[in-house]
Amino acid sequence: MFKKKVTLKVFLLLIASDVLETVIQFFFKKSALTQSNFAVVNLATALGFLKAVFASPFLWAGLFTVAVVFIIWSLILSKIDLSVAVPIASFSYIFVPLVSIIFLGEKITILRWAGILFVLVGVVLVSLSSKERTVQVE
Amino acid sequence: MREGLLLILILIALTSLCDTVNQLFLKSAINSLNFTPTLDVVKIFKFISALLVKPRLWLGLVFSLVSLSIWLLVLSKVDLNFAFSADSMHYIFIALASKLILKEKFGSLRWVGTGLIVFGIVIVSLS
Repeated sequence: MFKKKVTLKVFLLLIASDVLETVIQFFFKKSALTQSNFAVVNLATALGFLKAVFASPFLWAGLFTVAVVFIIWSLILSKIDLSVAVPIASFSYIFVPLVSIIFLGEKITILRWAGILFVLVGVVLVSLSSKERTVQVE
Repeated sequence: MREGLLLILILIALTSLCDTVNQLFLKSAINSLNFTPTLDVVKIFKFISALLVKPRLWLGLVFSLVSLSIWLLVLSKVDLNFAFSADSMHYIFIALASKLILKEKFGSLRWVGTGLIVFGIVIVSLS
């Protein structure tokens, strides 16, 4: 069979899927924000909340993007291991905070940035671990 | 923010678990197809079509839908960057499930990396 190596094409697909993942999060947050005053106390109000959120066009824009990401993600998984694909697809940790700051006006503390940095270093190590193994296999 | 933080974290853990199950079903369905990666649009279309008739894919999508529902509830209560960072606990679930269920082989470096990710998540949750 083919080599389970992260090629440039796979890498580009991962970037595309990650940017779109950020777009999805942005749409979902926008749709959820329209119902932020909704008091969810039991299953009935939870369903009412979902009904209200599903009426938002932002949610449907998000779901359409989900379908696109599904195709891209399937192509990625046809090429590499799940435990490699998931950690490498972590550009969201840069994109999501940036989008949160620019478009949603959220604030991120220095401590939170430090946490995000740790996550990123971990992700880099995980990615390196797969490369190491690929070299050994070859 | 601190009020009900534990409940929010539990909900986020639930979405992560559902997401992991979804990924497992998807990856297992893809593995069963033996698709050779290509940029041929027709072949990609055939691949996606073959994938869409796999029952386990739809089973996965049910979990995905549950995950999405809980996720929307979480997003209505906390900042996006907080929710998204805490959601990265699914890295552990994915690593464990990949190793135990999909039998993917990897060593200590990947576990150390996963540990750092967890550490980062804890810091983000406390800040």
